[in-house]
Amino acid sequence: MRKKKLFYFILYALPLLVLPASLLIGPSESASFSKILEYLGYLTNPDKTGYSIDFSTLQTILFEVRLPRILLAFLVGGALSVSGAGLQAIFRNPLVSPYILGLSSGAAFGAALSLAWAFLPVQLSAFLFGLLAVAISYAVALNRKNLSIVSLILSGIIVTGIFSALLTIVQFLTDPFKLQSIIHWTMGNLHNTGWQSLQSSYIPILSGVFILFLMRWRLNVLALGDEEAQTSGINPVRGKLIVLVAATLATSAAVAVAGIIGLYGLIVPHFVRMLAGPDNRQAMTLNFVLGGTFLLIIDDFSRTIAGFEIPIGVITMLIGAPIFLYLMKKSNIGWED
Amino acid sequence: MGGLIAAVSIENLSFSYNENVVLHQLNAEIEPFCLTVILGKNGCGKSTLLKLIAGLLPYRQGEISFSGSKLKKLNLSARAKKIGFLGQKHKAVFPFTVGQVVLTGRSGYVRIVPKKQDILIAGHALEKVNISHLKNRYYTELSGGEQQLVMIARLLAQEPEILLLDEPTTHLDFCNQINLLSLLKTLTKNRLTVVAVLHDPNMAFLYGDDFIFMKNGKLLKPEHPAKPWDEEFLQSVFDHELHSIPYSERALIVPKKIER
Repeated sequence: MRKKKLFYFILYALPLLVLPASLLIGPSESASFSKILEYLGYLTNPDKTGYSIDFSTLQTILFEVRLPRILLAFLVGGALSVSGAGLQAIFRNPLVSPYILGLSSGAAFGAALSLAWAFLPVQLSAFLFGLLAVAISYAVALNRKNLSIVSLILSGIIVTGIFSALLTIVQFLTDPFKLQSIIHWTMGNLHNTGWQSLQSSYIPILSGVFILFLMRWRLNVLALGDEEAQTSGINPVRGKLIVLVAATLATSAAVAVAGIIGLYGLIVPHFVRMLAGPDNRQAMTLNFVLGGTFLLIIDDFSRTIAGFEIPIGVITMLIGAPIFLYLMKKSNIGWED
Repeated sequence: MGGLIAAVSIENLSFSYNENVVLHQLNAEIEPFCLTVILGKNGCGKSTLLKLIAGLLPYRQGEISFSGSKLKKLNLSARAKKIGFLGQKHKAVFPFTVGQVVLTGRSGYVRIVPKKQDILIAGHALEKVNISHLKNRYYTELSGGEQQLVMIARLLAQEPEILLLDEPTTHLDFCNQINLLSLLKTLTKNRLTVVAVLHDPNMAFLYGDDFIFMKNGKLLKPEHPAKPWDEEFLQSVFDHELHSIPYSERALIVPKKIER
């Protein structure tokens, strides 16, 4: 029992370690580790007269570039993981991701549209089209009062196809320079992050996550099945709808600011279940904490490992794909309702 | 049982899937604190009737009420406190522990997360079914018989007045069937009303207190309601040549023709 408590303590303390550590990491020469130590000395020394160095560049890098990016990476990672866990529970399938209902391709189309013709801010457009894609999938799948998982997934595939086709048209019509930024966007990256990205996304992300957190126990009931939920006092259609809306809200906002970070929302909930079991009362918090921390670590790598920035979506996809295939082979889970 | 109000009363209940009439003007009363068994051939509407009573299917004609209160007037959590339902198949996807599965029976009482009280009641439910030792095992790794007991414990944690069980013995071996039916009998003695759909008339007649016979969406009434194991009557229910052999004040039912 004590061992278990210590284990959870370490897991929850992880971000407290990784968040400040990430501030110290980056490719910039003017914000090297020794410079930061010097700056810390300057901050803690009450006598500021002996210093001749100008720390303004360092301050800008730390607080205008790195800090918002770190916070955003954490929020996005947490949002994708919590949403993934919620959707896996209601779909009763551990291989479901937040992109299942066409959200990513809708958002990509929205972003491309805005990058090509700038009729709306990129993030807003991505957010709106992400929501639109999910709404269409949902409306097509909804049949009277029934919410069948298979038809949701199928309509998600169709909607994804439609928006991918539309995206191709936009790419075809736009000039090469804009095309480059569209492709970059779809790869998922955080390198344009400033406080503005954080400002525009934290409210939908945190409200979605908070709703899912409130649903954490009901997710256990919904994960057992519709009949079981309904006859023990929980309306399964309403419950699923709440989860779907909350997850879509958080994910669309995350995708709008960070692009498509593939497979992340599928793998992290899996990992959390392996660590702490499927009980969402614990899993929801852990998904947020660990999902945030891991994406932050991945982003730390993506900005330091090579001379250029590797898009974060590329890394998660490359790491995630083999894990996904392994899980699919191993878990032997079909798509039945 | 005279004098007590029926636990469930069904009046003029009709139901159809699309154009197919599945139930046609049923009238029945289910006695409280009894094990009532519903018997009939496949497709006669047994499961549909059970699902209607459980509130899983909406009905337009007729009325179902529980000791006076109409099913339609009860919201989901009020229903959960009246009726517990166990469907035919249950496939678990995630490896929840037995304790966690049983705790979900408390949904009708829980706002955000279960309280200590709920966890305590779930623990008692495990004791009533004699499976406290399984509490920390994974539900997904249990045998069919154990899983069925867990689901019954889950229903008991729900603390309903009536249990509705759709073919609870189907996937159980012979001895587990006996154990389950004895358990259901014990529950009725502890003032629970149990309604079960069973396929095996022998098990039904050995353990049941009261019987509902269905054929083509209608009820069949036996000539002697106290002794429904009458040969001719059962042959009309099952459309099969059957022998009724008197046994222990009741009867064993075997086919007349046996190919060897």
